[in-house]
Amino acid sequence: MYNQPILIMVSFFSAMITFFVNERLKQGPVRSSAALSLLVGLYFHYFAGSMDTYLVKNIPIVFFGGSFIGMVSSRLLSNYLLIGAAGIIFCLIFLHTSKFFNGYGGALGIAASISVLAVLSIPIVGKHRRVTNGIMQLREILFKISNRK
Amino acid sequence: MNWNKTVRKAFIIFLLIIQVIFLFEIFKENLHSWWTVAAIFILCPLILLTYLTDGLHHEEHEYEHILVALWIPIGALASFYLNRFLSLGPVISGGIVGSIASFIPVLNKRSHYMKQLPAAIYCGAFIGMSSIGVAPNIVFILTASFFTAIMLILSKNLFAGVGGKLGTLAFAGVVITSFLYFLISSYV
Repeated sequence: MYNQPILIMVSFFSAMITFFVNERLKQGPVRSSAALSLLVGLYFHYFAGSMDTYLVKNIPIVFFGGSFIGMVSSRLLSNYLLIGAAGIIFCLIFLHTSKFFNGYGGALGIAASISVLAVLSIPIVGKHRRVTNGIMQLREILFKISNRK
Repeated sequence: MNWNKTVRKAFIIFLLIIQVIFLFEIFKENLHSWWTVAAIFILCPLILLTYLTDGLHHEEHEYEHILVALWIPIGALASFYLNRFLSLGPVISGGIVGSIASFIPVLNKRSHYMKQLPAAIYCGAFIGMSSIGVAPNIVFILTASFFTAIMLILSKNLFAGVGGKLGTLAFAGVVITSFLYFLISSYV
């Protein structure tokens, strides 16, 4: 019953922690994602104890996928809450991933990129604490596209 | 016609199509849940909006060097070996390959070439994480690595810094290869 909220929390924190290690501790995207996932994977592989088998199987996978979101460059996204939100969207996509793509390498990556792209369009608070109006931006973009043609 | 611009546009549209197929499969299987359908209807315009904004891609189009892309099959084979033959599972094998790859630039801090290797190897590691039902043998992994390598070469300045880009490329490579396998098995 509590399995899905737990996975959503894991994904939320995984994205934020990876981003923290990547940007603040300057470890680079690959090392922060891979090393953290390795630690979590090893822990659940050897020290899972009497935990629910569903969680033991899925927490490392969700953490791994969530860590891809934390690999985002601070040039694009630097707000921790938005990164956490992308983590939540990722987990919801993961929980509903179609059986057709079950076991495809990179499926976690594409779910992560979809959630990052979705969050990038929510310009709530910009890098310089500038409150921008989403509708105004949308109008500007559409205006630009119609001008291009 | 400007060749670079065409490649750029074709690649962006290709990735959009792959993502739409991925979302469409979720949509098709969850038609009974109005909640999922509503979520996908909200997600799609948001993604499209991001695709239409500038700033996602660098202005100048560049190609990745072929010697960098050559490391994709190495990463793929390493993670495939750890996953399949040592039975470590996808997360641990991907994590080991990525962690080791991330220390390659330490060997020679001045080398620009070595700085680019971790991303390529990590991208390959995702291919090796495929399950046995999808990737039955090493030939499949090598073919998928070949397609992913081509996409990595074409997409150097596209989606720069978007989390999940490497995974998306690996996914596209695996999808193309399994589609090829499907075509071959149905006609031969």
